[in-house]
Amino acid sequence: MEIVALSGGIIALIFIGLNVLHMVMGSSKENRCLPLFPLETIFISYGIGLGFISLEMLIFYLFGVKFTVYGLLIPWVVLIAVNAIRYVAHRDKIVIETRTTESEERYKFLNIFLISGISLEAVYAFFRALIKPIESYDAVAIYAIKSKIFFIAKAIPETYFPILIHGFPHPDYPLNIPLSETFFYIAMGSLNDQLVKIIFPLFFLGILILLYYAIRRFASRTYALLFTFLLASIPHFNAYAANAYQELPLSFYYFSSALLLFSWIEDKKSLRPLVLSAIMVALAGWTKNEGLMYCAINTVLVLFFSMRTIRKDMTWKTLFAPIAYIVIVGLLLLPWIWIKHKFGIANDEINLANLNPVYLFNQIHKLVPIFYELQKQLFGPKKWILLWPVVIFAAALNYRKLFKGIRGYISVSIILAFLGYILFYMISYVDVVFFASKTWARFLLHFLPLLVLWLAYILKEDVKI
Amino acid sequence: MIYRILKILFAVWVGLWMAFFVRELFIKNNIRDYEALISRTLEGKHAYVTGDKLYGFLSHCKEIMPEIAKYKFVNIEEGSLDRRRAVYYLYPRVEGKDPDFIIDMAQLMIKKAKE
Repeated sequence: MEIVALSGGIIALIFIGLNVLHMVMGSSKENRCLPLFPLETIFISYGIGLGFISLEMLIFYLFGVKFTVYGLLIPWVVLIAVNAIRYVAHRDKIVIETRTTESEERYKFLNIFLISGISLEAVYAFFRALIKPIESYDAVAIYAIKSKIFFIAKAIPETYFPILIHGFPHPDYPLNIPLSETFFYIAMGSLNDQLVKIIFPLFFLGILILLYYAIRRFASRTYALLFTFLLASIPHFNAYAANAYQELPLSFYYFSSALLLFSWIEDKKSLRPLVLSAIMVALAGWTKNEGLMYCAINTVLVLFFSMRTIRKDMTWKTLFAPIAYIVIVGLLLLPWIWIKHKFGIANDEINLANLNPVYLFNQIHKLVPIFYELQKQLFGPKKWILLWPVVIFAAALNYRKLFKGIRGYISVSIILAFLGYILFYMISYVDVVFFASKTWARFLLHFLPLLVLWLAYILKEDVKI
Repeated sequence: MIYRILKILFAVWVGLWMAFFVRELFIKNNIRDYEALISRTLEGKHAYVTGDKLYGFLSHCKEIMPEIAKYKFVNIEEGSLDRRRAVYYLYPRVEGKDPDFIIDMAQLMIKKAKE
């Protein structure tokens, strides 16, 4: 019965996400919208549905409303009705990519091997996640305890932000996943912290799907399968699909936001992918504090692109794009930022006031352990197999292509993410050796799918399949 | 030439992938955990991942303490995983400065604070 309720909850979330997606991407003019593949649509909808239902729960807290399944689902009827009216009146719909894949006889064996490898990793991720209840350190201490509090109270208790939250570690961490877990507990009617872990392998699968179709847009099926397999086979990536940490949800939201941003940069016809990118990156900020850094990185890219094109294309769209991006991200994060401000909830490890040249200069000595720990990560095959040596090899081989076209935007995103994490370490109060050894590998996961996409772009001319 | 190097790298990648997959299952002995977990109920799984003894003790604490009770841990490291799990399992009972119960995590004993 719990499995049926859980499945119903997932379908409801996807349906809500689909309606948000339809609201943003639905258009009667097919040529003005980015076509999405059906599986891509489902997983983007899943991410949006999860993020929006948890934001709704936060807003319920502001109005003192208790959580019930019907109470949480009913407000979405308005959106569904609006979409239905739009469809009936204007035939507005999401453009679904109908391109089919021709079988490539030449690489038949390789394709079968790659599909088998990806399937094995996906099945193993679900198995590993669902065989155990939530038990790993952060998952229990930071997130599951919060979802238990919310489930028992069927609300975010009034005393939660002023009092209760301070009894547990990291009160400032965003609540997307704890509230999503709560939603599933409420749907199941029980605190089944084993089944609720399905959230995480679904994000794992979602990332693989997004990567596959992102590569399919510029390369063959075998080529897309190859890089999807490379990502799926990275042991550290698979491990985080099962331990109920927030790294893969964050990675999913950031990756999808980056893909949509790049498709807007390449296409420029419509602002819709940009709006969706803003929504996805805001949800990254609502998932983990590191997501705020990705909000900043994407905004920098939007500003940079707009400034570059403004000379050639001085239209309202070019002027409006960065403002729209910032406003959408800000609006979605506003309730959480306001609550944090109201109750004085701050991070106890990092102080952004330390982001000044004098403080940073005094922390230069931290660079040695930061880079030492980083190189330990990069060249340890147990976690990454050969990923980082291949990345370095590919970059050295194709250094002239690194900053050309869309590859340039991806390269800049990855460099900014690296720099961002180095800054985190420098402004943190935590012992840098301890902090870097515990977190570098996790941080690298946040932009890992983007790195694999970058690799696919860079090696396109070298790998002829 | 480059294509050939990349092909070799791919072959090494696949070899390492298989080796780490087998290592994860058999050398790190996760297969033993999976065998033990697969037939257990949710409670049984909680007990297995926490340790049967500790989980049994925490279940006993839950029976003794009313849901509104406050407790204090002794003989356990502040940031340890066992402590975090105990806090999780015992909620809605919470740690407090003026506790109703003292929980000795080393001896696995619970007693009223004011006796």
